[in-house]
Amino acid sequence: MNLANWLSPPVLGLALLLIYTLLFLFFRYRPIKKSQPSGLLSIRELAPLDQLIKSLGRALESGKGIHLSSGSGGVSGIRGASGLTGLMMLARIARKSAKNDKPPLATSGDGILNALAQDTLYQSYTAAGSRRNFDPSQEQVAGITPFSYAAGAMLAAADQPLEANLLAGHFGPEAALIAEAADRSAQLTIAGSDNLPAQATLLAAADEVLIGEELFAGGAYLQANPAHQASLAAQDALRWLIILLILAGFTLKLLGML
Amino acid sequence: MTQRRFPIFLLILAVAGGGIVLMGYWVDLPALVAVRNVLLRWAATLTGVAVLLGILNLLTVHWLKIIQPREGGVYSLVMLIAFVITFLVVAIDTPTGSWSVWIFRYIQLPVETSLLAILAVLLVVAVARLVVRRPDSFTLLFIGTAILFLVAATYLPRFDIPVVRSLRDWIVQVPVVAGARGLLLGIGLGVVATGLRILLGADRPYER
Repeated sequence: MNLANWLSPPVLGLALLLIYTLLFLFFRYRPIKKSQPSGLLSIRELAPLDQLIKSLGRALESGKGIHLSSGSGGVSGIRGASGLTGLMMLARIARKSAKNDKPPLATSGDGILNALAQDTLYQSYTAAGSRRNFDPSQEQVAGITPFSYAAGAMLAAADQPLEANLLAGHFGPEAALIAEAADRSAQLTIAGSDNLPAQATLLAAADEVLIGEELFAGGAYLQANPAHQASLAAQDALRWLIILLILAGFTLKLLGML
Repeated sequence: MTQRRFPIFLLILAVAGGGIVLMGYWVDLPALVAVRNVLLRWAATLTGVAVLLGILNLLTVHWLKIIQPREGGVYSLVMLIAFVITFLVVAIDTPTGSWSVWIFRYIQLPVETSLLAILAVLLVVAVARLVVRRPDSFTLLFIGTAILFLVAATYLPRFDIPVVRSLRDWIVQVPVVAGARGLLLGIGLGVVATGLRILLGADRPYER
């Protein structure tokens, strides 16, 4: 069997999954020195997520809410991962603002995302001992096509006093409409998407943008659980591995060995 | 005790379901592929039900806006009336009937195209505002590249500048492709990480 067969996409995919799992388990359960801070690993600063943490504090002081828009990508397939990341961020936001009179507003463009958002908020409020603040009408399906979703999310956000909008999920370029509406209401917009055209438009329209994989680091920054920090470390290690493989492939090609 | 058992049952169900579907991609065992196909069909059915739930939620939210009068409630009324009319037309005329297609072609499509047109104008304004908000080298690079692309994409026979066109082609074929691949690799790793966290039970979005 030649090398090309061995390096077919399914084999490479399986290898990637196994390596990632081993790295994740290593970073999750490695022994921690006593001198090390409680956060498992040091992570570089990301301005958009710093702004999000600050705006959570400001929302609590001003009695305003936070709007999380988890996009219209659903939870299945490649698009689903960003929506699930948005849900996890919603859980942390809800936990941190459970004592706020104004609960967070969650909009999505998909029925499953909406049902999961309701569960997430209920769970977070229960865990924080503020179940009375839970309001199921704060989770809305704003529209079921990308543009109707953007139009609905714009209206939903304009309906109530908000400190900040967090766009975390799968969007198309129409996400810029939501960011623009938020800007007109003098609300901060922090946005991240797994879609490159959306990232490009949000770079111009939003106040703070999460580029590339930065959206998926949200869990580690909001300290969802130690698994997120371990996952981020495994991602970084795997990225270095891929860089080394690209360099090795480039060198072999240059030497005429590939 | 029952409350504690239920999340564990959900965890086992999610991990086993995800594991079977994932293994089905590599292991060509007829029994495994059959179970995987059944699970995928269930997922497709549940997705359809979820769309209905989403529509019900949308209607409830707009109904609440009408019965608790507030600013913008009239839009909710328009939305509900449009929904009822569209639902009746599609139910009677079938989704591919001439009236259903008319609604899509002459109402939904123009409305969404208008939003796309607004988006184009809005982006120009947003880029102008970006200069004031973030006056740094990245902003200048972003705007410079956008202008270069606009100039190169515009076909004016008498003002065709080969250098600009070559520069655009080089930007598209080298830095843009390299940058996009880098970003996509990072996103791909993020997607894998999110999926595996759920498969390993570290993230449990289904647990109440």
